[in-house]
Amino acid sequence: MRGGSIYIERSSGLHRLHPLTKVALTALCFASAAALPGLPWLLALFVGLLLPLAIWGRLTGAFLKACLLVVGPFVLSLTIIQGFFSGGETVLFNLGRFVFTQEGLLAGLTFAARLLVALGGTLLLMQSTPQPHLMQALTERGFPPRIAYVVLTAIQIFPSFQDRAQVIMDAQQARGLELQSGLLNRARLLLPMVGPLILGSVMDVSERAMALEARAFSSPARKTSLNTLADSLLQRALRWLLALAAAALLLWRLWSALQ
Amino acid sequence: MIELKKFSYWYPGTEQSALDRVSLSIAEGEFIGIVGANGAGKSTLCYALSGFVPHFYNGETEGQHTFNGQDMASLDLGQLAGQVGLVFQNPFNQISGARFTVREEIAFGLENLGLPQNEMRARIDEALELVNIQDLAERSPFSVSGGQQQRIAIASILAMQPRVLVLDEPTSQLDPDGTRDVFTALSKLVSTRKITVILAEHKLEWLATFCDRVVALGGGKLRAEGSPQAVLSSEQMLRLGVGRTQYSEAAARLLRTKQLPVTLEQARKALK
Repeated sequence: MRGGSIYIERSSGLHRLHPLTKVALTALCFASAAALPGLPWLLALFVGLLLPLAIWGRLTGAFLKACLLVVGPFVLSLTIIQGFFSGGETVLFNLGRFVFTQEGLLAGLTFAARLLVALGGTLLLMQSTPQPHLMQALTERGFPPRIAYVVLTAIQIFPSFQDRAQVIMDAQQARGLELQSGLLNRARLLLPMVGPLILGSVMDVSERAMALEARAFSSPARKTSLNTLADSLLQRALRWLLALAAAALLLWRLWSALQ
Repeated sequence: MIELKKFSYWYPGTEQSALDRVSLSIAEGEFIGIVGANGAGKSTLCYALSGFVPHFYNGETEGQHTFNGQDMASLDLGQLAGQVGLVFQNPFNQISGARFTVREEIAFGLENLGLPQNEMRARIDEALELVNIQDLAERSPFSVSGGQQQRIAIASILAMQPRVLVLDEPTSQLDPDGTRDVFTALSKLVSTRKITVILAEHKLEWLATFCDRVVALGGGKLRAEGSPQAVLSSEQMLRLGVGRTQYSEAAARLLRTKQLPVTLEQARKALK
């Protein structure tokens, strides 16, 4: 993992794919999450496509762990809420006046599975693609470099922001601020902690902007890249196929809804 | 190359001028040191010489301010960036945050200038070697020390090969070896490529050794200008809060001489 990104360095076929091919795959995952009709289809997509891709990318453990960490709480909350409140005929159990139904459970699990598929696609993209390469691929296709820069730095600079917060915390403690006591006291002490962090960051913005200008950020020249992103005819064709499949799925879903 | 004539500058919303009728002419291939106590106007002068005043900071200006005969206000910062480089005191804020490795970080400015890959690679290798950080090339710029980050910031600007290099206290986070590396690299650039180097610095010994000319500021005014020997050995430096080199201090205590040495070499001769 580098900076605040979740990229994991590996030597794999998935890592070597052009970032836009993986973006197209992610788009297909989002379209599938929105369009596929039921739990078996969604789980089949996860097990039949995303999991093999994670194995191919030598990311199985990290991929499954991240899926579990993010989707796990949703599975729990969604099944409880849907199970108790979305109604249904088949009662599984009662909790006082509240009835937990099989239909509700299925609805909750289906919703969680949709999240799992969409998140799985995004995770594979982010864990196997260095963010600078993703932004390079996008800017080469006309994505505004300024927006790409903002997105990238927000990801990369986050750990440094955490370091600064730690320095302020240490400095305030050195001046006698008691941070270890109860929750109420901690909430009261938030201002002396957050204040310097925000003010310091705002002051840094000006120097950061100057440093960017010194690095010719607003130069009228057409930007080039140190690294060439490997691409191929096959991948370009695959991207079109994935994009068409995503569009077809969404159209099919729309058509089904209108019927 | 860069010329200020009775140039004054006020930051937005201030009544007191940060630079007050400063006249300074800088020629190609000069190595100039700027000295002054804190708040003397060193950073503002650096910003003016690199075009950030008035382009980045709006404020009010008076007097003449030209780069290669053209009014600085009529030039664009994006175009100036390829000709004038600026290195700041705080290394952390100079890391773009948009690249994974030091090599890519140095490439950031070159990519913005639209250079081809081969030229970028050659310039990056040269810049890494100049500031002696070849071993950091594949590291993350966020995983190195403050001093190493400062060397990366300097290398990033050096790789852009500007005609003028302005550095605002660039060695404040460097150890003696790092400081020596930076001064040696800058001196080499001046002698081999005729690059103009303008350096605001408190480490007077280094300025005395490497600079052709020293400019002393106080309260936003230009108080003294001349050879390092003439400026740094004067009594005025004590009044301005600039201080003296350790060699001048030692000689002032040990010798009865009007002409204080400012470098180690001069001190050695004087003490013989």
